[in-house]
Amino acid sequence: MQRFQFHQARSIEEALDLLSEKGERTKVIAGGTDLIPALRNEEVRPEGVLDILEIEALRGIRELEDRVWFGPTTTFTEIEESSVLKCHFPLLVQAASSVGGPQIRNRGTVGGNIVNASPAADVLPALVALGAELEVQSKREGIRRLPIEGAIQGPYRCVIKGDELLTGIVIKKYPPETRSLFKKLGRRNAMARARMNLSLLVRLDGSGAVEELRVVPGAVMPVAKRIARAEKILLGKKLAPSLLEEAAQVMEEEIVKTTGIRWSTAYKLPVIQAVFKQSVMELLG
Amino acid sequence: MDKVLLKMVVNGKDVEVRVQPTRTLLRVLREDLGLTGTKKGCEQGDCGACTVLLEGKAVNSCLVLALQAQGKRVETIEGLGRPDALHPLQKSFIKHGAVQCGFCTPGMLLSAKALLEKNPEPTIDEIRRGISGNLCRCTGYVKIIKAIQNVSKG
Repeated sequence: MQRFQFHQARSIEEALDLLSEKGERTKVIAGGTDLIPALRNEEVRPEGVLDILEIEALRGIRELEDRVWFGPTTTFTEIEESSVLKCHFPLLVQAASSVGGPQIRNRGTVGGNIVNASPAADVLPALVALGAELEVQSKREGIRRLPIEGAIQGPYRCVIKGDELLTGIVIKKYPPETRSLFKKLGRRNAMARARMNLSLLVRLDGSGAVEELRVVPGAVMPVAKRIARAEKILLGKKLAPSLLEEAAQVMEEEIVKTTGIRWSTAYKLPVIQAVFKQSVMELLG
Repeated sequence: MDKVLLKMVVNGKDVEVRVQPTRTLLRVLREDLGLTGTKKGCEQGDCGACTVLLEGKAVNSCLVLALQAQGKRVETIEGLGRPDALHPLQKSFIKHGAVQCGFCTPGMLLSAKALLEKNPEPTIDEIRRGISGNLCRCTGYVKIIKAIQNVSKG
């Protein structure tokens, strides 16, 4: 590991002061489950590391009237055990439960999953499906808010700049009749990096037609995003096997458009199609 | 870059040690404090051999910068029992033959302890999930799970 200076901030202001001065040469550390291996392999060589785990204002889960706010250093275990999140966003809870083993979930944070922007992240696609909004602060710009979709530009590339700090994540509550599901395929059940995962959110209207649908496959594309073309096929219609087949086919086309044909494509495409069809049937069938 | 003074409470005792910011909790425990019961396995957070309890929670000590443990409580295998007064989990591991080469055992015991503190009567599936971050290449896990289950009932 290349030597670095260790800084620990006790408040957001303290962290922003340091980042405004040394942000480009400083790495923010929270749980460290991604950063420490990267430091050890010298994939990153910062001059300084800023620990934000002691900042009280970056932790916790708060239920507001129409939305839920949670801090970026909330751990996967805290998400898994939160009664507020279990009630409003079971999709997020399922995604957080599927991360690593207990040691990783006790340490790894939701903010780290976002900022690190791993294409195999589990929680990131769930947050995209839930339409999460990020709250980012810097001395230069104050607070800015941005949708999570668009915040991730590529594998390990997040738009949050060197002098900025992710200070909160906000998800709007959705109508209670909305159903959701998170599916993950790994090489084994525990401790697996996702080979692929799927976040699905769906709501039917009074007549049984699809009123809202969000389909976000993870770990099959460089960036987790909604497959709008596949969603449109089912929107406003009642579920029928032929429509589901068509949507799955379109999803496959969209994925190939982004990734091209790779060594894993022969495996991943039919499987993600099957997982998608199964998951929709499980939610609506 | 200079060493920094690190103060923590390890197994109930106050310790002070000067460390480089690059050092992980694992390295400080083993190399500065001589607590070699915490094992260095993969050093990537995959094997769980380096598991310790940080403020009561199981963590991979290879994925914690030592300075992030500033002022915190750390429990290692050396704090779990004494040779003349073993912890019930240690007794049960011996009784059920849950130890073969022994390399995973310290981490496995600490994960088991964290699990039982949170959930004193876990189902077999909950035990499996509780130790899913600890690899054992000898036992096939069956005896480890039995050993933990036995303590949870008692």
